[in-house]
Amino acid sequence: MAERVNPYFLKELKKYGDVRIEECFNCGNCSAICPLSTEEDNFPRRMNRFAQLGLRDRLLASKELWLCYYCGECTKTCPRQADPGEYMASARRYAIASYDPTGLAKLLYTSPVLSVIFLLVLAVAIGLFFFQASAPMDLQTLRLFEFIPSALIHNAGIIAGVVIVLAALVGMVSMWRRTFQALGYPKGTRLDWWGAIWKAFGVEVLGQLRYRKDCESSAVNKPWYAQKWFIHASMLWGFLGLFVATALNYLLELLSVKATGTWVPLWYPIRLLGTVSGLFLLYGTSLALLRRFRKDDTSYEKSTFSDWTFLALMWLAGVTGFLLEIAVYLPPFAWSYWMLLAHLIVVGELLLLAPFSKFAHAVYRSIALYLWTLKPLPESEQASAPAAAD
Amino acid sequence: MSTNQIKVDALVVGGGISGMQTALDLGDQGYKVAVVERKSSIGGKMIDLSKVFPTLDCCSCITTPKMSATAHHDNITLLTYSEIESINRDGNGFKVQATKKPRYVREDDCTGCRSCELVCPLEVSEDEHEFGRTSHRVVYVPFSTAVPQKALVDLDHCLFCGKCIQACPSDAIDFTQQPEPVEIETRSIVLATGFETTPINAKKEYGAGKLRNVISGMMMERLLAPTGPYGRVLRPSDGKMPASIAYVQCAGSRDQTLGVPYCSRVCCMYAIKQAMLLSGALPLAEITIYYMDIRTFGKGYEQFYQNAKAMGVEFLKGKVARITEDENQNPIVRVELIDEFGKTRVTERQHDLVVLSVGLLPGGNPQPKFGVPVGEDGFVQVPDYNVFPAVTSQPGIFVTGAAAGPMDIVDSIMMAGAAASSAASYLEAGNGSRKEAQRQPERSVEYA
Ligand SMILES: Cc1cc2nc3c(=O)[nH]c(=O)nc-3n(C[C@H](O)[C@H](O)[C@H](O)COP(=O)(O)OP(=O)(O)OC[C@H]3O[C@@H](n4cnc5c(N)ncnc54)[C@H](O)[C@@H]3O)c2cc1C
Ligand code: SF4
Ligand code: SF4
Ligand code: SF4
Ligand code: SF4
Repeated sequence: MAERVNPYFLKELKKYGDVRIEECFNCGNCSAICPLSTEEDNFPRRMNRFAQLGLRDRLLASKELWLCYYCGECTKTCPRQADPGEYMASARRYAIASYDPTGLAKLLYTSPVLSVIFLLVLAVAIGLFFFQASAPMDLQTLRLFEFIPSALIHNAGIIAGVVIVLAALVGMVSMWRRTFQALGYPKGTRLDWWGAIWKAFGVEVLGQLRYRKDCESSAVNKPWYAQKWFIHASMLWGFLGLFVATALNYLLELLSVKATGTWVPLWYPIRLLGTVSGLFLLYGTSLALLRRFRKDDTSYEKSTFSDWTFLALMWLAGVTGFLLEIAVYLPPFAWSYWMLLAHLIVVGELLLLAPFSKFAHAVYRSIALYLWTLKPLPESEQASAPAAAD
Repeated sequence: MSTNQIKVDALVVGGGISGMQTALDLGDQGYKVAVVERKSSIGGKMIDLSKVFPTLDCCSCITTPKMSATAHHDNITLLTYSEIESINRDGNGFKVQATKKPRYVREDDCTGCRSCELVCPLEVSEDEHEFGRTSHRVVYVPFSTAVPQKALVDLDHCLFCGKCIQACPSDAIDFTQQPEPVEIETRSIVLATGFETTPINAKKEYGAGKLRNVISGMMMERLLAPTGPYGRVLRPSDGKMPASIAYVQCAGSRDQTLGVPYCSRVCCMYAIKQAMLLSGALPLAEITIYYMDIRTFGKGYEQFYQNAKAMGVEFLKGKVARITEDENQNPIVRVELIDEFGKTRVTERQHDLVVLSVGLLPGGNPQPKFGVPVGEDGFVQVPDYNVFPAVTSQPGIFVTGAAAGPMDIVDSIMMAGAAASSAASYLEAGNGSRKEAQRQPERSVEYA
């Protein structure tokens, strides 16, 4: 099969991070030191090659890009100091931008100035959108969802959700097509589609097994709650928990069990789920910000603007959410209402930008993990399949 | 005291193969030469080696005659166990202060009969040449082919029992010896201070020196040498004859995490050499060399490599990333192997013994004492390497051998010739001031 070589590929990649992979002399130290490399699915050296040779399509078809959690072992031990870990991170940014047809991801990744402008404009737009529909603040009893009607929030959320999902789907399909093809299973091979679901989403995505077990080398001196995997898992679990709590809340409203904004005690199950998840999110994002700020790990040394904005938005979402929750149990103040608006703006930005920002790694990594766990069914169940050889 | 005042044409610092050859070349031309060697014997690294690539000649058989020739040359004064303290320019020459460290044995009287060794009751670990694999007495002749064959006392461990004093037939032992200052007046200096090897604990990923069956190339030289500690190849942890031996190439060179970006040039060749010798010593052993590139640049070297392949030595492309060990202290290497079709595999392979092909590092910084700058790599800088390979930036100071950069024996000897001839031209030109290009009348030239 002919491969197209893109001579400007490396130059292009350099816009996405501190890429110096041209220094690499292909020794393979990185792939062998990488705790996540396996006998067959080994990286990052092969990925380095793609950048050096201008094999853009091969890079974009590599699930291995997403199997790396950036522990930094390869960077620390690279004899050429070619920083393969940072290269992998940059290549992931590049991939997110390439799978996205709108060009927005590219803008957010490559231009901090335009990113700031874009984020501010979007914030104002979301703010105005909700504010123009707001009712006067009631300072006798707190009526948050009369200030900004819950129906508006829900409907806006659903419409935004559909847009986001569609945008994300385009990228996901693009990635899936390339990476699945690259697996190279002969036509007709019967794959264990169901088995892989549990392994990929249960064990790896939710359980963070490989991050937890294999990527600990860099964190040996830290207690488990300060290790990178736990920080990452806190954010992931926190975010998912909040998402589920919000969805359940809406479900109860649809079922007319409980309207949004009805006062509930702290131990009300959905409220409890939200609170605990919020704590996880806040803990994870705070520590991630702190450790990035301190640069106390190889992978935190070269944070990009996109790393900071993603974390900052998540952190702000957590903080505003908590202040809102506290407000519910206090006498009404004007700031409680403003907090709702702020929370909507932050969450709105976070969700609307999901397919175009670092957030997108969640779906791409999930797909990669799925493809990584996807294996052919045992020999005995292949019988009915047509002969693979021709 | 006349011995403490030496006046020579050239001072050679370092008595390794390159320093000895420079001294011999200059001495043969009639120049008076002093050789100052820090250790108790001359010979340098070469005297510790087993055989030399690419001819597989016995190393002692080549080095020992050179050592004797140096020691017995009429025009060469040998100062072993001595340190250079300071160097000062004096007119067109140099005034050098050196110190002869006390051997606690009068060199002039000692005959090297070793009677003292036989009666000495205490053994200490032999670290200088044998990496602690064997021991020597507190009073000892450094090794069987040491030059000079004179004993010395390791006073730190001495019990002062006096048995050696009683045993010595020539009354040579003298515990009251003091460091002896020596003043050397010389018209030129040749640095031949050689190299050191990467310490075995340099790389954390390779076990930081804690894995017992991971040894350095230099240790393997000793295991293979006929004069080595065991007389055969045994692995350190349990004395087992290794059935599977692996070489890890570039273990200390071409690695910026160790601050060594350059290639050490000799380690590919010595690994191949050792692999061949091992095939003879342990015919059933499997030998694997993990490499990034095999660099066999010299005359006959590529053929040497091809011969090793033909002998069944396994060459696998891949840089070993990590070495661990199993419960039986068998080292396990982790490596990405890249085959000739570009197919790759990250794998772990267990061996009985792993040899790190350690690199060549500068032996020390000559800048403070000699005022000779070093290059980025830490070796003595040669400003015009292509044209004057042995001439440093300091007039009258020359360099040869591995002091100038990683170099094998052939190149060290050739460079010695270059250094000797550059030094001779300089001396001929009249102590370096080219205007005064007449012969110095006091110099005696003897044509053989
Ligand atoms: C494991 C191994 C195997 C090798 N095998 C081969 C081989 O098979 N064939 C080959 O061609 N090459 C081989 N080499 C390379 C070879 O050892 C060198 O080329 C050679 O030893 C260089 O000689 P030299 O005289 O420049 O330095 P050295 O041998 O290092 O001699 C330098 C001398 O100077 C002395 N000295 C240092 N500083 C001072 C000071 N300040 N004052 C006084 N004295 C000082 C030292 O004590 C030493 O005696 C091998 C190297 C290694 C590490
Ligand atoms: S360790 Fe460094 S030099 Fe070696 S293959 Fe990886 S990136 Fe390249
Ligand atoms: S950063 Fe860690 S996980 Fe990623 S490629 Fe390097 S060693 Fe592997
Ligand atoms: S010190 Fe005396 S006994 Fe020892 S080797 Fe020399 S001469 Fe012999
Ligand atoms: S000679 Fe060979 S082993 Fe030594 S540094 Fe060069 S390439 Fe590496």
